[in-house]
Amino acid sequence: MLARARTFTIEGLQTRAVTVEVDIRAGLPTFTIVGLAGAAVREARDRVRAAILNSGYEFPERRITANLAPGDIPKAGPGLDLAIACAVLAASGQLPTDRLETHALFGELSLDGEVRPCHGTLAIAQAAREGGLRALVLAGARAREAALVEDLQVVVAERLVGAARALKSGSGDPLPARPAHLDSDAGAAGDGCGEQQGLGEGARLDLSDVRGQPHAVKALILAAAGEHNLLLSGSPGTGKTMLAQRLPTILPPLSRAEAIEVTRIHSITGRLQDGELIRRRPFRAPHHSITTAGLVGGASSGWVGEVVLAHRGVLFLDELSEFARPALEALRQPLEDGRVAIVRARHSAVYPTRFALIAATNPCPCGYLGDVERCNCGEAAIARHRQRLSGPLLDRIDLIAHLQRPGCRGASGAAVPATAPPGGMLGADQSNAPAPTSAEAREQVVRARERQAARLREEGVSANGQMDAPLLRRHVALSERAEQLLRGAQERGMLSARGIARVLRVARTAADLDGSARTREQDVALVLSLRAQDVRAGRRAA
Amino acid sequence: MPAAPRLSATARMPTAPDARDACPECLRRAWLLQTLSVRLAYRVREPERLLQALGLPDEQLIQAFGGRRRTELIERHTSFAPAEHPAAPGVERVCRHDHRLPAPLRREGAPRMLHVRGGVERMTALLAAPTVAIVGAGRASDYGMEVAYGLARGLAASGVTVIGGLADGIAAAAHQGALRAGAAGVTVMAGGVDVPTPASWRELHRRIAVEGCALSELPCGSVPRTWCHVARTRTIAALARIVIAVEADDDPSELLAARLAQAAGATVAAVPGRVSAPGARGPHRLLREGALLVSEAQDVLDALYGVGERRAAASHPPLDSRLRAVLDRVSAGSDTVAKLIAADEDPSGPSERDVLLALAQLECSGAVVRGDGGQYLACV
Repeated sequence: MLARARTFTIEGLQTRAVTVEVDIRAGLPTFTIVGLAGAAVREARDRVRAAILNSGYEFPERRITANLAPGDIPKAGPGLDLAIACAVLAASGQLPTDRLETHALFGELSLDGEVRPCHGTLAIAQAAREGGLRALVLAGARAREAALVEDLQVVVAERLVGAARALKSGSGDPLPARPAHLDSDAGAAGDGCGEQQGLGEGARLDLSDVRGQPHAVKALILAAAGEHNLLLSGSPGTGKTMLAQRLPTILPPLSRAEAIEVTRIHSITGRLQDGELIRRRPFRAPHHSITTAGLVGGASSGWVGEVVLAHRGVLFLDELSEFARPALEALRQPLEDGRVAIVRARHSAVYPTRFALIAATNPCPCGYLGDVERCNCGEAAIARHRQRLSGPLLDRIDLIAHLQRPGCRGASGAAVPATAPPGGMLGADQSNAPAPTSAEAREQVVRARERQAARLREEGVSANGQMDAPLLRRHVALSERAEQLLRGAQERGMLSARGIARVLRVARTAADLDGSARTREQDVALVLSLRAQDVRAGRRAA
Repeated sequence: MPAAPRLSATARMPTAPDARDACPECLRRAWLLQTLSVRLAYRVREPERLLQALGLPDEQLIQAFGGRRRTELIERHTSFAPAEHPAAPGVERVCRHDHRLPAPLRREGAPRMLHVRGGVERMTALLAAPTVAIVGAGRASDYGMEVAYGLARGLAASGVTVIGGLADGIAAAAHQGALRAGAAGVTVMAGGVDVPTPASWRELHRRIAVEGCALSELPCGSVPRTWCHVARTRTIAALARIVIAVEADDDPSELLAARLAQAAGATVAAVPGRVSAPGARGPHRLLREGALLVSEAQDVLDALYGVGERRAAASHPPLDSRLRAVLDRVSAGSDTVAKLIAADEDPSGPSERDVLLALAQLECSGAVVRGDGGQYLACV
């Protein structure tokens, strides 16, 4: 007798529909699974057999063939267990077959017949709806995640028996209650992304924790408001990492569509802990020992890199000059196109990678360049350091903020009286005043983004950071005096043609933050103070 | 003016067919120095001994440093054939038997001949103008390099020839300053004129060779050894009318150029620095000993031409009072935007907006530049 069940498998970030066909007929008792089954799927044989027997059903002592169609795509993961088990039951007449046509089944089976949650539930639920199926049967632990998809009935089955009952009657177990720690909505909005690298769970970061460095804070807000990539350069202990960690707190909240995109990626890669929608932008801070494959993906089929996990969020590269050159070079496509196409011998995939890049670096190997008394780096070492930073990646960085140590002696001689260290309580002067709170900054950012979106609606881009040269000409609206200033800078040799485009993009964001329709002189002046520097006279070029 | 009579040591030595080339005797000297280069590098550590050694005649030099190869060297020296050592393309050679060799090099102990890239004519023209050497540490501060750059630019723009070695820090900054003014100076190479060292200054070396000139006493292709830097310094000190030490430690090797210039009777000048900065010790010692204090190009022009005779070209157009006020605060050490804003406690002072605007305008007019740490530096 023959029975079919519907399920899905995940390949990279994509889902593929799979039909499980089970045929039972007379012969020596065997159970074979065919159809490019991966290791976990082949093991399903033993799990399914034990689960069926332990659930009180009969496992047919006949020749059983399970075929996973289509036969040309590889299937991986344990999520096919439930579908295989139900098809076996239906083929042996222990289960009616009618609902198997309209209900997708997704879950791993334990030997005692319990249905276990699997990674990628959200993606499977989306695929089930797009595939025209009416319902998805799955474990209770992932039901909330599947319920994020509208127009799809979520049927909870905690055990194989429950799944069989649901397929008979159409109604499953009750949806489990929402965990208590997620009950208050305000609390949930903060977390959600299970694995926040570099952020302690429950840490409440706020931009106003930052003392001093008003210029760098400004750069951070500009970067957030216009989707510009930012490089923070400064001596150890000046607060580069502190600032970068606070970037997600001032970015606009994820829209629902974006949140589902992010949740889907994190669900498939197994980083979603509670099955809730991720509302906070991801913040990924990989260590600088990361490999190219670790950064962009491609180590094995279905392995996604940090750039994909940072999608719609922030990718923070601390100690940029310590990263391997090939890894940094590999960032070019993700940065330019907002996607990365991974092609390997046995698999290929395209992943979305729209993230804000924020990088931090010491100005020289020892970190104290510019401080005549502390920096011990030779010219060659400085040139090498610079060389590691320069190149195609730096081309994509619009803003460079130099963080100064408070009380650092100016190179021109006079010692400036030391102010309090960052975060200190001393000193009421402006350089030590706290930065705006994250809420205030985020509001500015959101308003600026709205202005950009309104202006750029017809151009197919949403933020100033994505404007190319023709768009810049159309939308920058440079005031006369600003143009004069820019021309002066160009004549002085401070800016190349590409440098000018970069200044214009960011200056437009500065004007948007202030609510100005025109890009004014002071916007250009601000951005000029945050641009990449030429190599100084007497310093070796990289 | 007729060519100076050739002092041929031996009748066996044929005179060069091309009168524009150096004479065989001087070519042989250059060849000998190149051949003995490695031995000189490890046999002579002190500059004084090296300078003595460089004053020795060929035969004694071979005796002193030839080691086990003395006999062989004497043989090769005797049978030296200038035809086997032609000038490299683009390189001219001039020796002390040629009137075109710069007059200051006719002294005892000075190089006997020069290899010139950029043309002997141009070298003569450049050295006919007042010459100033800007010397200092290889590991210099932003401030030091900015001063060297600004001085060289100001002097070059006023028709002074800037002389220096090719090295990190002050030397490179000075050459870049002169190039910025559109008047490349003279670089004295430690090795051959076609061997740009340090290699990272290849481009600077090329530009100087194209627009100014590069000199060396060693044949083309010579790799510089430690002794070559001392030898190069003696050439620089000999060629310059004023030697300005910008940043140097109080250390005989770093002050060598100034010492040699003193001995040769040239003017020694120094740029003061902050008393606690290591790079200020050398200049401060020179100043204590009576060196000329230099803080801008005008000081040097006064020393060269007499007070007030020549005005240095301004490095930037005149500034209005608003920009001047910000520039003064930058010079006083408020070198970041944060410090500039924090420095005004009174609410009537300029706002952040004004400060940023002023800094951008100052940068555009060339009155300030950014240091490596992102801080602003006032230009000289």
